[in-house]
Amino acid sequence: MTRVAPERLLFGVALAAFFGWLIAYPLYSHNQYWQTVFFIAFLFAVTASGWNIISGYAGYVSLGQSAFVGLGGYTTGIVATRAHINPWWTLPISAAVAGLVAALVGVVIMRTRGHSFVIITIAFLLILQLTALNWNALTGGSTGTTLPLTPYPREWLYTPFYYVMLGLVLLSVLMTWAIRRTKFGTGLIAIREDEDKARAVGINTPVYKVLGFVASALLIGAAGGTYAYFLTFIDPSGMFNILYSVYAVLAVLLGGRATIWGPVLGAFVIELLREETNVHFGATPLNIAIFGALMAAVVLFLPRGILPTIGGWIATRSARLVPGVAEAAIDLRPSGALPMRAAASSSPAEKVLLEVKGLRKRFGGVRAVDDLSLYVREGTITGLIGPNGSGKTTAFNLIDGMMRPDGGEVWLDGRRIDRLAPWSRAHLGLARTFQITRLFRQMTVLENVVAPLRSFSVRQLAAGAVGGHEVQRAEELLDFVGMLRFAHTPAAALSFGQQKLVELAQVLMLDPKLILLDEPAGGINPTLIERLVEKIRELNAMGKTFLVVEHNMPLVADLCDPVIVLARGTRIAAGPALEIQRDPLVLDAYLGEGWTVEEAVTA
Amino acid sequence: MTHAIQTIVLGLLLGGVYALAASGLTLVFGVMNIINVAHGALLILAAYFTFAIWTHTGIDPIVSALITTPVMFALGWVLYQTTIHRIRNAPPSMSVLLTFAIALIIEGVIGRIWKGVYRSVTPSYFNESFKVGSIYVPTARLYACLAAAVILVLLWLLLTRTWAGRAIRAASQNAQGAMLMGIDVGSVAALTFAIGVATTGAGGSLISVLYPFFPASHYQWISRLLGIIVLGGMGSLPGAVLGALMMGVAENLTSTYISVRWVTAVPYVVIFVVLLLRPRGLLGARTREDVVPV
Repeated sequence: MTRVAPERLLFGVALAAFFGWLIAYPLYSHNQYWQTVFFIAFLFAVTASGWNIISGYAGYVSLGQSAFVGLGGYTTGIVATRAHINPWWTLPISAAVAGLVAALVGVVIMRTRGHSFVIITIAFLLILQLTALNWNALTGGSTGTTLPLTPYPREWLYTPFYYVMLGLVLLSVLMTWAIRRTKFGTGLIAIREDEDKARAVGINTPVYKVLGFVASALLIGAAGGTYAYFLTFIDPSGMFNILYSVYAVLAVLLGGRATIWGPVLGAFVIELLREETNVHFGATPLNIAIFGALMAAVVLFLPRGILPTIGGWIATRSARLVPGVAEAAIDLRPSGALPMRAAASSSPAEKVLLEVKGLRKRFGGVRAVDDLSLYVREGTITGLIGPNGSGKTTAFNLIDGMMRPDGGEVWLDGRRIDRLAPWSRAHLGLARTFQITRLFRQMTVLENVVAPLRSFSVRQLAAGAVGGHEVQRAEELLDFVGMLRFAHTPAAALSFGQQKLVELAQVLMLDPKLILLDEPAGGINPTLIERLVEKIRELNAMGKTFLVVEHNMPLVADLCDPVIVLARGTRIAAGPALEIQRDPLVLDAYLGEGWTVEEAVTA
Repeated sequence: MTHAIQTIVLGLLLGGVYALAASGLTLVFGVMNIINVAHGALLILAAYFTFAIWTHTGIDPIVSALITTPVMFALGWVLYQTTIHRIRNAPPSMSVLLTFAIALIIEGVIGRIWKGVYRSVTPSYFNESFKVGSIYVPTARLYACLAAAVILVLLWLLLTRTWAGRAIRAASQNAQGAMLMGIDVGSVAALTFAIGVATTGAGGSLISVLYPFFPASHYQWISRLLGIIVLGGMGSLPGAVLGALMMGVAENLTSTYISVRWVTAVPYVVIFVVLLLRPRGLLGARTREDVVPV
């Protein structure tokens, strides 16, 4: 990371030259046509950069981003004509209105995901368009609103607009870059990669998403105001234009999703293509068809975008020089002790850390968890076993907040937590790994380990994404599980067993009191199981409490004391492993005819 | 009171046609997990085909559904084989953009051929109506609604009574499982998409007698159809029928008792309310979301 690669240097020089030329352009050329083309390209670049924050980073695909162009435009139009202010002074108001609407609407619509979110953003845009059309008194309806003409000399032409919009482009790029470098940015990317997992590792996802939506709207609002002043006439179909949303999406996909310069590059390509088709086919229907065909071609043939595709070529070329992940082994040398939150009590066996009372959850007719009560004493490694379908993973989901129980209580260290959000539970010291690992696949191992958040504060949002003290701790943790040499490997490139180790290091970052492990030994090789057991013991000696779901009975007998047995969603036995193995009820649950899974389901 | 009943009857007749128009959209979403944004444009295209057939040969627009349906089926098949199959497993942004692009191409082609003016198909019974008690029933709406009902029943029989239909439903519930049971999920997807587009053939023919149309009308249609399938539960055919009837009534009530100017807002409001309060819609299946994705 310290050495600047020649490709990056070349890219930097090319960018600087291009922007230098853009800044100088109006000084030596008074070509109105090209100034207008660039101005529109800038508008698309700002819109695309905004879209990139909510959709490229956070993965929430919005087709309503041009609503903020309209909101900004109408704000400038209405304020400037009613209050008789120079439209330039209204731009901050336009940005603020866009941000405010994004915050209010975001709180509501950010609750939907995937296709539903796409649909609701279209509805959001079109509802605003219709409102602008029907609210005659405010907007002038379909006849539109006329803005005051510019007060400066005619020979300046479009130059002031050009520079203001160019400034907004640079601000957008700066904002995109800054967000990527902060906790806020990694939080958004974590949401894109796996939102439920993000919640489980302490990220307050609703706040992140709404702030992401606001950040994606602010500068588009100001750009909309500038655009309205440039046009001097605004009407609902021009300002709330769904095609502008589509151009923004296309620009980001073309340039490169979640990159900093991709949206700007894409916006220029889109606008130049638009101009080309306009010149050749005029404002005819055929123009629409040609543009549609270009758009289809981009989606089909360049789905990754220009910058990532080029980046991919460079990466493949240099990757040949280093050995692949598969060839490198896990570091099995003994590792040093970890600095941890000190164990609270001197006589840990007495205190109950986790208590579950009468927990219930139904899926339709199936009672997956049915009046489950159990407790975990501090300092123990408690096992949780039971036949398939007995409700173990559902119990985990209820304890860590992935799902809401239908009834019952969960207490952690004397606090009732069953109504808290998953991230609050994580902040209180509850951590959980998954049966099938859920790492943020596109992030590196190190980024994965620094992603968890032990608390939430506004200041923290602005903190560096991968900062000094945290990195040191993350590296200690990776060293502890023997995965330090993979720190800069993308998580998706690791084997399943390696991912389990990284996920353990990841949740340790929360410095949890209680760690829920869901089948830690499932699907990994014996050497790795040994290593994992050793690590769990070491952590336990340092004062960590564990609740382990596991099917490997010798392992459970060896590691866990006491062991809790579930069947049909409720606890049927608890005690030391040796006693449990002889308990007739337990034997019956696993082997007896009266306890087949089918009956448990239909009961 | 008569006034209200009259409004509701007109809405239900309209809703029957909406149900046919929305059936293909919900079917394609259910099986392929793709929102076909071009569905509205295909519907308008079929309406223009009907217009062309009617002006050149004088064939009744409702009868011409027999021609437009196979034509649109073929078009759907071609669209799938040339483009859609490539983005089958891509994220939502890709399928939305690709089908949006197809909608723009269709809009452009329609504008090129039929010019950007409103067209409508006006058979002899276009302005006729008859009276049942004190309720007026417009003949064209009644015929269109009956035709839609017949086609929907045929579609339902196809999905529930034939092997192909069972394969489609199996693929929509669990594509991997269907694949392991020997169903060629790729061909099923092609068939589903083609059937989905075929419904725009009949749907387009029927709406051509109800509404005037314009190359850019597809925006309004796709909004309305999305509202319908969101309301009914995305992927559910009975849900689409229920949603369509309710949408027809809601639109008519809005235009009668509020203002014609806010009729276009109805689908958007429906989308907002349903997705926030009951995201799975009226008849949509509740999926277990805790199952860890592999």
